[in-house]
Amino acid sequence: MASTISAPEWRGYLWLAAAMVLGLLAGCGPSKVVVDGDFPAPTISKLPISLGVWYDPAFENHEMFDEATSRTESSWVVTTGQAQVEMWDSMLQGMFANVVPMVGAPGSDQLNPTVDAVLIPEVLELQYAIPSHTNVKVYEIWIRYRFKLVTSAGDPIAEWTMPAYGKTPTAFLQTDQAAVNLAAVMALRDAGANFASTFTRVPAVQNWLEQQLGNDQGAGE
Amino acid sequence: MIQKLFSALATAGTLILTSGCVTSTVDQMVFNEPTEGIGGATVVILGRRHASDYDTEPDFVECVGDHISSGDRSIQVIGELDFVNEFYPWFEPRTAPLQIADLERLMQREPKVAQKLASMNTQYMIWIDGNTKDTDSAGSVTCAIGPGGGGCFGFGTWGSDANYEATIWDFGESAEVGRISTKASGQSYMPAVVIPIPIIAPVQGTACDGIGDQLLQFLSSEY
Repeated sequence: MASTISAPEWRGYLWLAAAMVLGLLAGCGPSKVVVDGDFPAPTISKLPISLGVWYDPAFENHEMFDEATSRTESSWVVTTGQAQVEMWDSMLQGMFANVVPMVGAPGSDQLNPTVDAVLIPEVLELQYAIPSHTNVKVYEIWIRYRFKLVTSAGDPIAEWTMPAYGKTPTAFLQTDQAAVNLAAVMALRDAGANFASTFTRVPAVQNWLEQQLGNDQGAGE
Repeated sequence: MIQKLFSALATAGTLILTSGCVTSTVDQMVFNEPTEGIGGATVVILGRRHASDYDTEPDFVECVGDHISSGDRSIQVIGELDFVNEFYPWFEPRTAPLQIADLERLMQREPKVAQKLASMNTQYMIWIDGNTKDTDSAGSVTCAIGPGGGGCFGFGTWGSDANYEATIWDFGESAEVGRISTKASGQSYMPAVVIPIPIIAPVQGTACDGIGDQLLQFLSSEY
């Protein structure tokens, strides 16, 4: 049976074909996760310190790309930058009496607001594991940070590393992306918890706090 | 009337057919039971998440909380996520107190924590530790689809074990006042003749009811 198709119908078929091709191509692309979560304000006594904070562009736009090693695996892109900034802004504002964002990286020739010290966080490493990698029904994220505490002129006060870990079990009808996002949010929350409970115990920070605040507060746990 | 009877019988038959068998045991050891109930005080139920190989499921913690508050409407149970967010970062897996003495130390170190707990009038903190996991599985189900339609054929079965322990902390006494543990196990089946029919053993639900009933007996004056 012969049938004719008018021009508008052809356009419809073309759009459908284009959508199908795009859909197939999207299926071949990497799994992308832009980490998104809520980070509550901490319940903690504020240190009477005016702290500057400088987020390096690499930190603000942090992204992990893991290329698939075989045809059965999928490549992954996990973008944590925005969530990192949200979490650390919330945590630092809850921990310190005054938190000031810096205009540029601390240095003798950089004009920045006057503060007691500047904190520079850096993501050294981010690793993830999903059930198809490990055969364990848990999604996991590890993050290793390096923190630098410097003067406004950029002179070092303290430098230390800190790990963070988040995991979430598999759940019915949960996609890999949603589970990786949840694991990343748990890892960021863990980073905040680890920082809040260990900041004043870092020996170089403890010495500096003693100089700034006196022995009573500086030695606080 | 007869139609209603048939409908009720059909529903009961479907429920019996579609749920597998579960066996469970509950052990408890509690002290200083509040014989008059907890009055206007609140209870918080939290899951332990510090083990490397499992997490206490948030939905199990919610189930126990719902079981208690539906059993005695006068008991106010604070939601786990609300509580953990309110006290962030002190009840995260890394920082959560493992003993009541740790919590006492935290309240001395962080007066804001003590103030918030007091404002919530929290009398009991209940920690639930454990999980439900699938054990042995056997059989297989094959599904196929063609121009004339599709369907599945085969038989699958798997077991589930639930193992939970609830630890009760009393803020009034500053002491641990009870431990309740429950174990449940069951076998689920899935025969498939064209359509797969899952017959699921409600293992986690049985464990939730078991631990929830014992907690209700402890907290409520009505039980």
